[in-house]
Amino acid sequence: MEFKDYYQILGVEKTAPADEIRKAYRKLARKYHPDVSKEPDAEKRMKEVNEAYAVLSDPEKRAAYDQLGSRWQPGQDFQAPPGWDAGFEFSGDGAHSGGAADFSDFFASLFGRAGRDRGAGDFQMRGGDHHARILIGLADAYHGATRTITLRAAKQDASGHVITEERALNVQIPKGVKEGQHIRLAGQGSPGMGGGPAGDLYLEVQFSPDPRFRVEGRDVYESVPVAPWEATLGATIEVPTPSGNVQVKVPAGSQAGRKLRLKGRGIPGNPPGDLYLVLEVVLPPADTDKARQIYQTMARELAFNPRQKLGV
Amino acid sequence: MAQDDILTGVLLDEVALNAEDLARACAVESRWVVERVEAGLLGSASVKTVEWRFVSADLARARRLAALERDFDANQELAALVVDLIEEVGRLRGRLKAAGLAAD
Repeated sequence: MEFKDYYQILGVEKTAPADEIRKAYRKLARKYHPDVSKEPDAEKRMKEVNEAYAVLSDPEKRAAYDQLGSRWQPGQDFQAPPGWDAGFEFSGDGAHSGGAADFSDFFASLFGRAGRDRGAGDFQMRGGDHHARILIGLADAYHGATRTITLRAAKQDASGHVITEERALNVQIPKGVKEGQHIRLAGQGSPGMGGGPAGDLYLEVQFSPDPRFRVEGRDVYESVPVAPWEATLGATIEVPTPSGNVQVKVPAGSQAGRKLRLKGRGIPGNPPGDLYLVLEVVLPPADTDKARQIYQTMARELAFNPRQKLGV
Repeated sequence: MAQDDILTGVLLDEVALNAEDLARACAVESRWVVERVEAGLLGSASVKTVEWRFVSADLARARRLAALERDFDANQELAALVVDLIEEVGRLRGRLKAAGLAAD
């Protein structure tokens, strides 16, 4: 694992006083705020910044890290020297940012032992809750599905050190799930201490982008290309939808952008959402003599002015 | 648990969280939740029965509130104002997406 220079991550000197560290942290927390930031790797950077602040804002951890840090360079291959933290006592578990589960192996190798110290004696504590996002397809929300997700989770090894390990979970995606909803998996969060129960895992559902469909709550929007004669004369057309192909009647006199509502064919639920088919008129290319001739006939015979409303 | 077991979770909104669940999920004290509900900053989407019930939208909101208060030492009203704006931007982005327009 790589040695992390927490001072470099926060952009402060090693001698920076606590209030300067706090200022630097807030500045970066704003820059990489997941709801606002346009930086491509905002989430990853925010995790690093949180981790750096969790160490440097805590006098005990900072003192221990400083003693260690003088011997290492950023990026250097790192192994915590045995007994490196002798003489230090960590009272926190790095839960500053809502749980150390997001933190790096480097952090866990240094500060993971706090859990063991606190686990001694009669102390009993429920494990922390974890949060993760799960990406599913729209069809999964229609039909339900099983998805495998891989999570990094903190775990105590035999000697009481907290190590991070990858674990794969097969999760049932319930039919009718909406974007932004949470699936709560009891007991899949951090393990408890001293025989306390494990925390829960909350999965926030997100739909993977699909150019064919747009989703608002349980309502689904789908663009449907139609020929000019289908729109003007009316037609029955076949349309693929998330719940399978359907026959749809396009009313005569439809214009581009007209929405056809298929009640109850959105994401299932109580009540289910609706499916809106948005008509998109596609012009046949005039790439043959015959086609050009037909367009010329229309131009001559229809006396159609598409810009009439513009007054020209 | 065997590697290939399939976990079935509970869908929030079908089953709501109580104040203790919500506090734990945000790594805050129960009192934190109670204070913000009483101040009208949290839980407007909740169904209020004998005890408070919190749904998915409340969980997302509470986590944002807790993070803003913690990261910026923001007071609770200011954090709530920021979250109101974040939620509004989210709704508008959703509308743009549904209208087939990119958010940027």
